Amino acid sequence: MLSRSAQGLYWMSRYLERADHLCRLLRLQTEALVDRPIREIHFGWSRIYRSLDRQPPGGRLEMLHSDDYTLADSYTLADDLTFERSNPSSMWSCFALGRENARQMRQCINADMWSCLNLAYLRIQQLSIQRIWTPSPESFYAETGAEIDTFSGVSAATMYRDEGWRFMQLGRFIERTQLTTSLLLSQLAVQTHEETSGADWTSLLRIYHAFETYNRSYSVEVQPDQVLDLLVTDPLLPDSLCRSIDRAVSDIAAIGPGPDGHSSDAARRLAGRLSALIHYDWPDCKDRGSLLREVSKYSRELHHLVTAAYFEYSIEDSPTR
Amino acid sequence: MDFDSYDLNPSIYDEMFLPNGAPREHCRELHETLGRLSAEQLGSIQERVTRSFSNEGITFTVYGDDEADERIIPVDCVPRVISATEWQSLETGLTQRLKALNLFLADVYGDARIVDDGVIPVDVVRGCPQYRIEMRGFSAPHGVWAAICGTDLVRTNDGFKVLEDNLRVPSGVSYMIANRKAVKANLRRLYRRSRVRHVENYGSVLLETLRDLAPSGCSDPSIALLTPGVYNSAFYEHMFLAGEIGAELVEGRDLLVNDGFVYMRTTKGLRRVDVIYRRVDDDFLDPLVFRQDSLLGVPGLMNAYKLGNVSLVNAPGTGVADDKSVYAYVPDMIRYYLGEEPLLANVETHLCRRSEDLEYTLDNLENLVVKRVGESGGYGMLVGPHTTPAEREAYAEQVRANPADFISQPVLALSRAPCLIDGGFEPRHVDLRPFVLRGRETRIVPGAFCRVALRRGSLVVNSSQGGGGKDLWVLQD
Repeated sequence: MLSRSAQGLYWMSRYLERADHLCRLLRLQTEALVDRPIREIHFGWSRIYRSLDRQPPGGRLEMLHSDDYTLADSYTLADDLTFERSNPSSMWSCFALGRENARQMRQCINADMWSCLNLAYLRIQQLSIQRIWTPSPESFYAETGAEIDTFSGVSAATMYRDEGWRFMQLGRFIERTQLTTSLLLSQLAVQTHEETSGADWTSLLRIYHAFETYNRSYSVEVQPDQVLDLLVTDPLLPDSLCRSIDRAVSDIAAIGPGPDGHSSDAARRLAGRLSALIHYDWPDCKDRGSLLREVSKYSRELHHLVTAAYFEYSIEDSPTR
Repeated sequence: MDFDSYDLNPSIYDEMFLPNGAPREHCRELHETLGRLSAEQLGSIQERVTRSFSNEGITFTVYGDDEADERIIPVDCVPRVISATEWQSLETGLTQRLKALNLFLADVYGDARIVDDGVIPVDVVRGCPQYRIEMRGFSAPHGVWAAICGTDLVRTNDGFKVLEDNLRVPSGVSYMIANRKAVKANLRRLYRRSRVRHVENYGSVLLETLRDLAPSGCSDPSIALLTPGVYNSAFYEHMFLAGEIGAELVEGRDLLVNDGFVYMRTTKGLRRVDVIYRRVDDDFLDPLVFRQDSLLGVPGLMNAYKLGNVSLVNAPGTGVADDKSVYAYVPDMIRYYLGEEPLLANVETHLCRRSEDLEYTLDNLENLVVKRVGESGGYGMLVGPHTTPAEREAYAEQVRANPADFISQPVLALSRAPCLIDGGFEPRHVDLRPFVLRGRETRIVPGAFCRVALRRGSLVVNSSQGGGGKDLWVLQD
């Protein structure tokens, strides 16, 4: 397929994955506002901002020991991450950019997928933080999450499994790998800075729909190391790191060698190395933080290698057919 | 809802009613259904039709605002109906006209017999900004220069007339299909009973035409649709048509020319392109030949085209045949090339380059429509009766300064059709743009993009100027 189309689909998926990720984080965070202690709410916001590598409005987060302030702050922070147009990774921006990529590549996706995405976009266009905050912001995040899931479901059910599909999947799993890695790193970082409680690890499990699984596989008592093991290595957990990486590996293999028969070799090797890190190095690893940092670095590199192999290759290298 | 308060003006042709107020034979079914529906039901039909456009993101971009703005073309839910016999005569007339226009194009870029024989003055052809000297001596594959034509037709009390031949990159065909889809889904029983001819196969007709025009020896051509990009007002249409014909939607930056062949950049390397349905103006096609500042084009494209290695549809240079001055000579062209009388009439046109026409135009400004030769989309024109003396004087200055840039035509009493406006039926002026395709044969899908001037009394139907659309139903025999 046309390189620019493949690139558009790849980015569409990345943006939607990003929106989905943020949506899950904010759903849990706004739920916490109802009954969790202020310390935990503060921890949650720090974890989110750190994982996005973004400065909160006002420069830094302060823990104020008052409910009123905490709620007022949370309103501003949720707005910044949801509707702020100047924030390129707000949900609003992710929807706008994802939809814009889809609009430009609309002939590559089917009508059901397009209308699903367009409706979700039109809905978020009409909303604002004021409108979602009362009575329940978490229901907005739940509905929006469901809309993104619907889009994924409609895509999975209807899309022809051509290269376009593969590039969509590849974008999604590379993005997911990066997001998960940076969230886990941020969890570890915030934990070392601040006194933490079991609930913070519980919310991490909930973000990945893994709480029940954890209870069944391990125990009701939440142990940080076991949480990490589950989120990183469980091959049955849909959003686990190992699964995202393995999917990226198989998508690159399915897309094939690219223009000159070897164009994608570097990307294929790096994806394989990522997979090996998780499968073979993780179990005996003492310093999980630095292993995750390595994963994070490689996954960013992987993006550049994919771009160079399929989208922006130099024409001199390419035989004509 | 009844038509009791419908403002029927017997001196203006109404698409639904005879001058005596009775519905026309072919509109009875529609008239009856509309009469039976309540105002509420009609309102909800209109609302659903409109919503389907925004839900599906069928939009166009408006220029002139600070930012390019995605907008919806307002669509009126009341269809306009054309009888089988009316359509038949339009079809023959359109076929005749496009045949003559193609012969004209081959001639003016070849021996220019028509000029030598004194049928068209040389300066009308050579003075036309759309005349491409670069195309002289070239013969288009299969003799087809203009393969895709969107002819603007209006109806007056004297029947249908051609207002304009659009032979460069005519747009609007996606709205013909989108309007049909939205309206038929909401007037289902009426649609079924009315036995309307299909337009939904336009994509396959277009594909056949493009395949017809592939370079010789190319049996399974790879086809691409070249768009200026997402900021172009017709981007939705480019995307839609690319999907319909299974072509790649490419921009200039996706293409390159190597050894006289055109390639596109794909994930598997460079792939040959044989036919380009281009929706980019001549000026921007190839910076080596036309405008050097063009970022939309492909360096070397014209060379590949002239070598016969790629087909461009429409051919560069077709604009000389839809120029507003050349337009006045189309009836003579038909007589000259085909030895036939034109089946479709032109609108009486005065070329201000001729001194007697200039004088007449300036003396009668308040009764004329004056247009700039090089403009389209309803820009730069003066609708005499709707202007103040001061506006007319200012415009007259411009005409005197460059008479050759202007033509004038009488203000036509464009036919009107009932539209649902503010909960009631009101007449509005309409035109229609059918699409005529010419490959190895001429193909016309029985339908058109019907445009309507939604502002009361307005004669300007352009989407950029407050115009809207209507579904147009051509009935079976």
